[in-house]
Amino acid sequence: MIDSAGLSQRASAYLLVTPLLQSDANPPMEDGIQLETSSEAIEGNQNKLNLDLPGEVPLTPQGEYVLLQQRIYRAAIIASILVVAVSAFVFDLSTTISLMIGALSGLFYLRLLARSVGQLGKTSKHLSKVQLLVPITLVLVASRLPELELFPCLIGFLLYKPSLVFQVLLES
Amino acid sequence: MDSIVTAASVVAAGLAVGLGAIGPGIGQGSAAQGAVEGIARQPEAEGKIRGTLLLSFAFMESLTIYGLVVALVLLFANPFAG
Repeated sequence: MIDSAGLSQRASAYLLVTPLLQSDANPPMEDGIQLETSSEAIEGNQNKLNLDLPGEVPLTPQGEYVLLQQRIYRAAIIASILVVAVSAFVFDLSTTISLMIGALSGLFYLRLLARSVGQLGKTSKHLSKVQLLVPITLVLVASRLPELELFPCLIGFLLYKPSLVFQVLLES
Repeated sequence: MDSIVTAASVVAAGLAVGLGAIGPGIGQGSAAQGAVEGIARQPEAEGKIRGTLLLSFAFMESLTIYGLVVALVLLFANPFAG
């Protein structure tokens, strides 16, 4: 036998409960959509405002560090070119080439050091020692190859120092 | 090369690197600690702190490089070798 009264009660109870379950499972979409659109509109307005700002972009701390690196590189390259040019007139070709290779190694060392200092505290907790491989390789190559001289290589490698001293004096 | 000169060169190379790395190692550690603390306190001064750290590291690490060069010269281009 079919209990029609019981079925109708269950059906009405199911119909009464279903909207509640739906509202629990899926929170009201209309408000959410309105919130999302409003937040997107705010972000869009902020972007528009940022794009419309006149003048230069303010210098970030990372940009300041990059500018300092560029100044040091520029000074080191100028010092290296000057010394290599003077050496080309005064000394022989072997000494000049050794000096130039040392200067390039010094610039590469400085680049690696600057990169490891830039990563300190962000991606790594320790200062990388990879840059020390540059003078080791330089001395080993200069001592093995008869075309290169050791002392000009070392002098060339240390050509980045005057630019650092100049930078320190400039800042102080 | 005389064996005594060879032995003395190897010992001197080890001492040059080992003793020469103590001071810069301590200095770099304390400098890095101070810099990271400073950046954590004042993130807006990160650029200046990192720049000063780069300069001080370059000066400190050159002391290690001097010891390293002396050691490598003693090992691979020894002027006292006969």
